[in-house]
Amino acid sequence: MAFGVIAVSIGFDVWQSVVCSATALAGAGQFIALAVMKTGEGLAAVLAATTVVNLRYVLFGATLSPHLRGMPLTRQAVLAFTLTDETFAVNVSDRRQGRSTGMSMAGVGAIAWTGWVTGTLIGAAATGLIGNPSRLGVDFAMPAMFTALFIALAEDRRHIFVGLLAGAVAVAFALLGKVGFDIPASWHVLLASVAAATLATVVWRNDE
Amino acid sequence: MSDELIWAVILGMALANFAVRFVPIAIVSRTRIPRPIMRWLSYIPVAVMGSLVAGQVILPDREVIAPWGNPYLLAAVPTAIIYYKSRSFLGSVLAGIVAFVVLRAVL
Repeated sequence: MAFGVIAVSIGFDVWQSVVCSATALAGAGQFIALAVMKTGEGLAAVLAATTVVNLRYVLFGATLSPHLRGMPLTRQAVLAFTLTDETFAVNVSDRRQGRSTGMSMAGVGAIAWTGWVTGTLIGAAATGLIGNPSRLGVDFAMPAMFTALFIALAEDRRHIFVGLLAGAVAVAFALLGKVGFDIPASWHVLLASVAAATLATVVWRNDE
Repeated sequence: MSDELIWAVILGMALANFAVRFVPIAIVSRTRIPRPIMRWLSYIPVAVMGSLVAGQVILPDREVIAPWGNPYLLAAVPTAIIYYKSRSFLGSVLAGIVAFVVLRAVL
């Protein structure tokens, strides 16, 4: 729902925001795409940002892989398309209870897709009816969504530390731009994230 | 924002997001990823969100605003707390927007 609201507020029409949700089904990846588009960046920057946010699916694929061995490629493709943070969580808990099958994974995916697309439609249509969205605080919809996603994705203290470090680095890049060291805005998030994640991997390499 | 760009983004996103999910599944179900890379990948999402949030609430519109006069930064606090308590995206975003509107009016 929040995706529809934000997409319409930056210039998508209702139809475009629904098609985007239906075909990308990318959650956080869709929100970051809107954030990058809003800064006036082009297609390449948008796609780079959405891909980096969704690098975590490599991890999800690895976690689910014991179940995917021997599954035909077409079935894996269907599963890949409907793989989101939510369906991953449900599939993992199903698997722990020994209830996970190809069919149950497909069912979870279909439910998640329907909910995400319907929510986008409702959010986009409702925003279209409001005259001046800024008056109603829509400017804060995107920061609010990222704040909630940050809490949602922070599993432990290390994650929180890495997130705060990446935030500090991103702000430092932006401030450097003010004194003449201009790094294109679309790179701030990517460079800060890669730097913070790499540092954390190196510093905490020995303990498990 | 032009219609062509929006449609190009929609098509590109559909392909990029499918590829980033499908390629790992297709490959990983046949091999193993080294542990350090798994750990690096686990830090990426939260790092991306942290840098997005920080940029948007500390430097809204790329301007430096004093923290006590910045409705974006102050409204992020109740948003985070409400998400932590409720685990509802819609509820915390709506509560955050209400907090933002009130703070913007009084600051």
